[in-house]
Amino acid sequence: MHLRYRAAYGFLAPYLLIFAVFWIWPIISSFIMSFQNTRVNPWVFNPGATWGRLFIDPAFYNALKNTMIILVIQVPVMITLATIMAVLLNSPLLKAKGLFRFAFFAPVVVGEVAYAAVFRLMFNLDFGIINKLLLSIGIPAVSWFSETPAAMSLLIIAVTWRWAGYNAIIILSGLQSIPEDVYEAATLDRVSKVKQFIHITLPLLKPIIVFCVVLSIIGSMQLFIEPMLITNRGGPGGGTETLGLFLYRQGFASSNFGYASSIAYTMAVLAILISLLNMWIGREAK
Amino acid sequence: MAELSLKNVSKSFGSYEIIRNACLDIADGEFVVFVGPSGCGKSTLLRMIAGLEHITHGEIRIGDEVVNDVEPADRGIAMVFQSYALYPHMTVEENLSFGLRMTGNPKADTERRVQRVVDILQIRELMKRRPKQLSGGQRQRVAIGRAIVREPRVFLFDEPLSNLDAELRVQMRVEISRLHKELGTTMIYVTHDQTEAMTLANKIVVLRGGNIEQIGAPLDLYDNPANQFVAGFVGSPKMNFMSAEVVGVETGNVTLMLSNQGNVRLTLPLKDTPPAVGDKVTLGVRPEHFTNADGGIANLTVKVDVAEHLGNTSYIYANVASGEQLIIEREESRHDKTRDTLTVAIKSSHALLFDSAGNRLQ
Repeated sequence: MHLRYRAAYGFLAPYLLIFAVFWIWPIISSFIMSFQNTRVNPWVFNPGATWGRLFIDPAFYNALKNTMIILVIQVPVMITLATIMAVLLNSPLLKAKGLFRFAFFAPVVVGEVAYAAVFRLMFNLDFGIINKLLLSIGIPAVSWFSETPAAMSLLIIAVTWRWAGYNAIIILSGLQSIPEDVYEAATLDRVSKVKQFIHITLPLLKPIIVFCVVLSIIGSMQLFIEPMLITNRGGPGGGTETLGLFLYRQGFASSNFGYASSIAYTMAVLAILISLLNMWIGREAK
Repeated sequence: MAELSLKNVSKSFGSYEIIRNACLDIADGEFVVFVGPSGCGKSTLLRMIAGLEHITHGEIRIGDEVVNDVEPADRGIAMVFQSYALYPHMTVEENLSFGLRMTGNPKADTERRVQRVVDILQIRELMKRRPKQLSGGQRQRVAIGRAIVREPRVFLFDEPLSNLDAELRVQMRVEISRLHKELGTTMIYVTHDQTEAMTLANKIVVLRGGNIEQIGAPLDLYDNPANQFVAGFVGSPKMNFMSAEVVGVETGNVTLMLSNQGNVRLTLPLKDTPPAVGDKVTLGVRPEHFTNADGGIANLTVKVDVAEHLGNTSYIYANVASGEQLIIEREESRHDKTRDTLTVAIKSSHALLFDSAGNRLQ
């Protein structure tokens, strides 16, 4: 090897070493593990106990179903909301933009445990502010933590609150990259503001929106903190158990690392497939 | 088609006045060029006509109608932007027809208009392409096409050629000129390039610092600039300015001493009230208004700093001892070299005089 390259690799070596040990090796190791029954000592090659179990385990299907419901409802709602927020943030009429940008982004920075605790308080059956508000407009109090549809809604609300602003900021950057004179040209072309939004803004934002959707899909596939902390470990009775939580329980509560690995790979493959589908739908016409 | 007039039009951003009392009449079918250095307000003035900027005072009239409060889309204007402002996600065809489609224009009429543009600009082979698949010149042509499709009363061009390379700029300049002849529509064109202004315009409006300095036909501006700024701005290479002092005043004549040019004396005819003896004035001479020694009113001896030989002509960048630089055009000579000493004469009929405030003395 040329001396110059050797020196370069010498400098890169610490990083490459860490990358190999903490990234590459776990990926390979967990893949191997996903074919092993890890509930016997020593571990034995038995894909039936891991990959095979996935096909017949009702708990896995429950977690998959819950994750998909959250994904299908939460991602479109959040991205729509984020787009609206971004458009409002971009409005020349809005004052104190910096403050709003900060406020929208702040939920991401808040500690997960604190945020979960606040949501648990806000949605408390008896003294939570949400139920008080509902009661004040004549809607009976909702038992957010003990009814599955309500708990599921709570999860979706929480995740949306946390990530909508983050996506809004990304979409805002996309909005700001659309040159102003394109809108001026459309104004001179007598195109109304609403039609400008539909026919100019949205198509030009498509790559950014697809990016946000893909990020959100990956995030939703891994959803863990909210069902763990807000709905009390996927409660009621597994009603909000997600794939992420199911993986955690298999891996760390039941020490079934082989099965947990096969769940992890399934999640990754699903996320990749759904994201690819999304990118294909959102692809730019040639 | 329509005439257009501005009456005492002003524009302020806060306390900062961008355009001051602009008055201008543009006849139907005229090609008017707004020219001036960066930040002089020429683009702002154009955008005020378009309705993209509100005016603070005054009146803008297009045809018989005062358009101060008329929406941009209803002013009957079309604009070509410096950046082209094409819709990046649409094909050329969609770009051309977008405005008409969105406003519910009958399909047959839209197709007729687009076809007309395709014929005028010869862009048939580009119709299915997107802007990013076009060269700069092609994009510019599509942007112009989008303006033509609107069949406006007035075309507005905001520095449309400034993103093109030199060769393409010349080509597009000719095309725009041809287009004006073909359509006969009133056109207003903004540029900082005085060559574009000189070659395209029926009428040039020179702006500086938000003020209209002079309005006139290109050659009028060249031959009879109203002040030192216009004299210096119009013409390339630019006019030479030499510091001078009035040393004698007689009826109809003024005698000057060029203090930075070896105290050379010369006498010029003057109709205006003459300046007083001892006043500082500026003598303006264009590069082509020097002639061989003893052929004019005063001889100047200069040292050649740089000689540019262009084939048909040569430009001599010459220094005098005081540091003042002169640009001299020498059609016959291809032999001047750096460090040569050269004696040239000023042609009297072409020398211009400006007072210390930069106003022309005639």
